[in-house]
Amino acid sequence: MNTREYFLPQSVNEATQLLAKHGPFMLVMAGGTIAMPLINEGISFPQKVMGLRRAGLSYVTKPNGKITIGAMSTLTQMLDLKEIPILQEAAHQVGGWAIRNMGTVGGNLFAPPPAGDFAAALMALDAQLKLVSTAGARIISLTDFYTGFMTTALSPGELVTEIQVPVPTGKTAYLKYGRKHANTPAVVTVAAQIELDGEGVTNSRIALNAVGPHPIRASKAEEILSGSPLNPTTINMAASAAAEECEPFSDAIATEWYRRKMVEVYVRRTLTKITDRR
Amino acid sequence: MASKIVTFTLNGRRIEVLVKPLTTVQTLLRDQLGLTSTKAGCKQGGCGSCTVLVNGDPMMSCLLPVEDVQGQEVTTLEGITPTPGLHIIQEVFYENFAIQCGYCTPGMIMVSKALLDRNPHPGREEIIDALTGNYCRCTGYEPIIQAIEEAARRMNGNGN
Ligand SMILES: Cc1cc2nc3c(=O)[nH]c(=O)nc-3n(C[C@H](O)[C@H](O)[C@H](O)COP(=O)(O)OP(=O)(O)OC[C@H]3O[C@@H](n4cnc5c(N)ncnc54)[C@H](O)[C@@H]3O)c2cc1C
Repeated sequence: MNTREYFLPQSVNEATQLLAKHGPFMLVMAGGTIAMPLINEGISFPQKVMGLRRAGLSYVTKPNGKITIGAMSTLTQMLDLKEIPILQEAAHQVGGWAIRNMGTVGGNLFAPPPAGDFAAALMALDAQLKLVSTAGARIISLTDFYTGFMTTALSPGELVTEIQVPVPTGKTAYLKYGRKHANTPAVVTVAAQIELDGEGVTNSRIALNAVGPHPIRASKAEEILSGSPLNPTTINMAASAAAEECEPFSDAIATEWYRRKMVEVYVRRTLTKITDRR
Repeated sequence: MASKIVTFTLNGRRIEVLVKPLTTVQTLLRDQLGLTSTKAGCKQGGCGSCTVLVNGDPMMSCLLPVEDVQGQEVTTLEGITPTPGLHIIQEVFYENFAIQCGYCTPGMIMVSKALLDRNPHPGREEIIDALTGNYCRCTGYEPIIQAIEEAARRMNGNGN
């Protein structure tokens, strides 16, 4: 390990100033559960590192109709969000106890697939991100945040400081399928929010993780559901559309072929769970 | 290299250490302080053998920079072991054959301690859930689960 400087800014202001000064050669670190293994392994050897644990970003506030999550809030903190059960479920699906005590909500947005299980739930809830630099702040939707494999819309000098989640108005469901019951990388993760007006779907958001370069929306499946009733026929159509449109990869966990099959099964199960909740 | 002085509470005693940038709590404990109950297994956060408690919460010390625990309370297995003797959790691990090679044991015990501190009468599912981040490649887990159930009975709601 040849890190020469480790900064621990005490505020967002200090953090963005350090980032502006030291530029892209300084590694930003949140809970460290992705960054530190790479450093320990010698795959990444940053000269400068900035830790965010003291920057005042671990908070949850509840202004009307919204939940505002500081980017450094841990996944363990999310287990207390009784207002949004899908976020509790998703947080519980990340790693084991110690990893949830360290890993942050902000860090999960940057997790390379098959990780990113919490981000998938945030995407189904139409979460917005607050990005802050010395030049100011902007808001961007999580869906627009991802631009490719391990690339995002984050500009040099910017930090994610906050995740804003509208309290869901629709019904939600979440399923993660891995090779073990817990503490397991995903074969596929599905998060869905469906708004219904009587029988008909007025709005649907289906997010998939571990079957693309980052958490993705299953837009074709969403289109099929829009305006239709939510029944076994439309659910099957949406599930096969999702399996077709996703972009799975092969790794030590599962092959591309298997992941695609499981997308169909798990989108179907997730949507069926929503009909069961009526 | 700008080494820094970090002050925190280790096993109930306030200490001051000088560390190189980004030194982990695991490296500090084992290599600088000689407290080797905290193991160095995968160094990826994946095995749980380096688990310590920070303000009572289990964390992977291999992923935790020392500077991040400034002012905090860190507890290792050395900190919960009475002299002389053993902590109840250690006793029941020993009696229930919940230890074979022993490498995972300190991490398992730290997580058990954190669990029993929060929930003096955990159910089987709660015990399993608490242990998912800790790997044991010898015992098959069953004796560990039973040991924790036994510890809960013996402590009967009053730990330490
Ligand atoms: C054993 C183990 C099991 C795991 N299991 C799962 C799992 O089941 N599901 C899952 O999704 N993940 C899993 N993970 C991955 C990881 O723990 C989580 O994704 C976690 O949420 C990452 O957060 P972090 O704060 O630790 O990230 P860090 O390692 O701190 O951050 C990674 C990178 O993201 C960027 N970054 C982070 N925060 C910010 C910010 N606020 N602003 C700008 N950039 C930022 C930085 O570039 C940083 O280097 C696991 C990891 C381990 C070690």
